[in-house]
Amino acid sequence: MRARDAGMTGCHTCGLLQRVPASGHAHCPRCLSPVHMRTPNSINMTWALLISAMAMYLPANIFPVMAVTSLGNTQSDTIMSGVIYFLTHGDWPLALIIFVASVLVPLLKMLALTYLLLSVQRKSPVRKRQRTKLYRVTELVGRWSMVDIFVVALMVALVQVGNLATIEPGIGAIAFASVVILTMIAAMRFDSRLIWDQ
Amino acid sequence: MKHPQQNDNTASELMACHECDALQRIPALPPGRVARCRSCGHVLLRNPKGGLDRPLALYTAALILLVLANAFPFLTLDISGREEITTLFGASVGLYRAGMGELAVVVLITSILGPALLIISCLYVLLSVRFNKPLPAVRPALSWVSYLEPWGMLDVFMLGVLVSFVKLAGMATIHIGPSLYAFVALILVGAAATANFEPHILWQRLGIPGKTHHAG
Repeated sequence: MRARDAGMTGCHTCGLLQRVPASGHAHCPRCLSPVHMRTPNSINMTWALLISAMAMYLPANIFPVMAVTSLGNTQSDTIMSGVIYFLTHGDWPLALIIFVASVLVPLLKMLALTYLLLSVQRKSPVRKRQRTKLYRVTELVGRWSMVDIFVVALMVALVQVGNLATIEPGIGAIAFASVVILTMIAAMRFDSRLIWDQ
Repeated sequence: MKHPQQNDNTASELMACHECDALQRIPALPPGRVARCRSCGHVLLRNPKGGLDRPLALYTAALILLVLANAFPFLTLDISGREEITTLFGASVGLYRAGMGELAVVVLITSILGPALLIISCLYVLLSVRFNKPLPAVRPALSWVSYLEPWGMLDVFMLGVLVSFVKLAGMATIHIGPSLYAFVALILVGAAATANFEPHILWQRLGIPGKTHHAG
């Protein structure tokens, strides 16, 4: 038995099970937040955010995330060149961490969301449990991609004007941060109960 | 209506799984037990062993550590005798000065504001429920918590510190400031606090306000 079949839903914020009017929208009597049978426009909103993230993924990888100027010459760093830097310096564990967090996770996250959206739109009846798990993992790991943004912030803060070297943040960092934030919100807007509605 | 700390079990409740909508009765959980959805395996309800006192203690410690993590130098960079000291807040300031205000806001929210609001909100609600004192806006504060949680990224920030360390190691000497130690402790204490904090139990204790509730 599913809550929807009983005309009920659990509040998204506090979990209180309650009857929902035919419109599908109400206010939770316990936490006072809006309650919906299903997240409004879940599929459209998730697509919109996901496509925006995909659009930002390209500039995020092409443009430098930071530029190091030392003794007059400037060297620009993209996400990928950061990975290669660690690899060539024999620091493969760090190269792996950055590669997974900055390249693999955003990519897999966008692929996973695309698959989840398509499977829900095609009303796929199979592998509901696995797809729910995939969604859960997708929602959990996304935040780790922010690590490169923090690296840029710390390096910029530490290496400041007047020193032998200066570090400037690059436009790629903004694009990259948007990818992370957009995919995080996209995952939040996706209502995994839709997987089970077929 | 009042619960004078005698019963450590949660109340038996009919629940719908957040992730798959399966309707099921969750029995009263004794301390230390977890209830999972029988259709998708999602954790529906936890009853952490320490009741309300343990998360209260841990969040208090977290608040103190958060202040310490922001009060002293975080890292000091030493390039041939010239020292550059930065605080945690300095990470945002640096980006702002470099003309990237948007990014500065993102870093500020994920490294300071988000965690601070989360810790304060949790403490506020815990104090109110633990001591049966109906404080104003307890419900909105507890609602906040679930929205804030993904945006506090102290652990991710710490990974960023490690990576920067290695990147700068060839260029200069880096000294660890007292705030970095507080920051590491904050991550550990914060993780323990989160593990001992179950919003659902607090919602059960808060109950449904009054008899006449109006939508809006």
